[in-house]
Amino acid sequence: MAAGSPVAGGDLHGLLALGTLLAVAALVAAAGRRVGIPTVPLYVLGGVLAGPHVAGAVGLPSVAPAEVLTLAEVGVVLLLFFLGLEFSLDRLIAARKKLSAAAAVDLLVNFPVGVVLGLAFGLGPIGAFLVGGIVYISSSAVITKSLVDLGWIADPEAEPVLGTLVAEDLVIAVYLALAVALVAGGSPVDALPRIAVALGFLIAVAAAAQLLAPRLAPYLGTSDEDLVVRTLAVALVVSGLALAVGASEAVAGFFVGVGVGATPLHDRVADRIAPLRDAFAVVFFAWVGLNTDPVAVAGVATFVLAAAALSGPAKVISGSVGGWLYDLSPRRSLRTGLALVPRGEFSLIIAALAAASPDPTIARVIPAFAVGYVLVMSFAGTIAMSEASRIERLVGVAEK
Amino acid sequence: MTVYESDLPGVGKKHEIELHGGERLVVVTHNTGKREVFRRADEDSDAEKLFELSDGLARTVGTVLEGAYFQPVATENIDTVLGGDALIEWYEVPEGSELAGETIEAADVRQRTGASIIAVDTGDDVTPNPDPGAGVHAGDTVVVIGSREEVDEFHETFIESPDGDDGDEEGDGDDGSGTVLD
Repeated sequence: MAAGSPVAGGDLHGLLALGTLLAVAALVAAAGRRVGIPTVPLYVLGGVLAGPHVAGAVGLPSVAPAEVLTLAEVGVVLLLFFLGLEFSLDRLIAARKKLSAAAAVDLLVNFPVGVVLGLAFGLGPIGAFLVGGIVYISSSAVITKSLVDLGWIADPEAEPVLGTLVAEDLVIAVYLALAVALVAGGSPVDALPRIAVALGFLIAVAAAAQLLAPRLAPYLGTSDEDLVVRTLAVALVVSGLALAVGASEAVAGFFVGVGVGATPLHDRVADRIAPLRDAFAVVFFAWVGLNTDPVAVAGVATFVLAAAALSGPAKVISGSVGGWLYDLSPRRSLRTGLALVPRGEFSLIIAALAAASPDPTIARVIPAFAVGYVLVMSFAGTIAMSEASRIERLVGVAEK
Repeated sequence: MTVYESDLPGVGKKHEIELHGGERLVVVTHNTGKREVFRRADEDSDAEKLFELSDGLARTVGTVLEGAYFQPVATENIDTVLGGDALIEWYEVPEGSELAGETIEAADVRQRTGASIIAVDTGDDVTPNPDPGAGVHAGDTVVVIGSREEVDEFHETFIESPDGDDGDEEGDGDDGSGTVLD
């Protein structure tokens, strides 16, 4: 991903820029948590406030996106690295029957909703493809946290919800690979050679993860220090090479994660690297905020509200069908749908991708849309879950 | 009883244990090691969280539920009353004891105290019914049998003598049975 829309340079640099960004993001998140808003959109909001469009516009010292770009990219790679780490081909195969049906419903309902919205708001085929992804992909971070907080994690709906998230993660890996090539390529036909190169590279990484990783694992080190340094080195070198050949650095990070996850190092790596991911992911979310002009978000308000009004119910319906395919009762099926409503980190990754598009409409509209959409949907999704019993009564499937 | 296990990708594992009358106990083991324990009154009802435990605490509670001893703390002496006046007692031989570095025969245990050493535990291995010519070293644990008086005499002569601070006033119960959970 390249830096977003060019903005006037802020006047904070280096360490101070990074520290200020994190401090503002942390403050906003702490304030919002009291009201029960998930933290991912709040970090974005922190970035908006610390960035050139708000702090800079009122004459305060601000942070230019370029100051933290590399660290934000590390955040994206580590987010996907962890998805890969938790991703198990065996587990997917074991659950494939129920999962593939539920996952297919999820994809076939929600992706087209986004595509139609994108076309309706005049974004063209590539723009519509990006909006489709933003609207389709639920937020693993927000949903998993809500499941644990509300205690739904012990209820039967946890399985279709988490299963659908795993399937979405796999779809998004393929999707991002295509999206990177499409966004850079102008017309879809011009993009074909790029798609071929990018897919070729990712297939090579995937094969290496499958075949070489178990043999390479012992070299990742016995001490924790070696483990962290070497794992990061592998993840960043591979994802950096991916960027260089026009593939998605995030997807490369995903496959490195799959490779490491298949080795006995899985638990230790997860344990040692999770704090790094948490820190760098916050930088990424805040970086998205830095690139966001609240005026631009307000300018796409109609688009955001239309998308929320259509895609929220679409997720509830597709999720409910998914729950029903898992043989759940109507009430638990509805809950499966409600749980899948929040959108978050992956929609923001797509937004960051769109910001690099040579098409000025896509580069301007989609990131602003994504930020507004993620803010609305993560909040709406969290409310949908906490108010589930009221919604159940409303729909007439409440516990007798 | 059936235990259902399922994966919770990104979270950990879930085990559901069937209790009486359709009630279920649900244990969610997070990847971080944290355990959350829930109860579901019946198949349709929502899980109600009972408590959560850290990894270490969960293992301790598990051991207690299992009925296993967990880290019994070694006491200084453990006596076993055989009935009548006879008892068996364990002593660690202190540095400077007349018994340390001697054979049982040379220390004249039987003649001086009336008690007999029936086993010697060096920490590495245990010699039951040791030969009178067998050596005893400081740090070994000796198992002594005799009447209460004889055992007390043994204690005074060979165990308490060096620094005299090893006062173990015997009750007649087994004060060695206490175990402490870490």
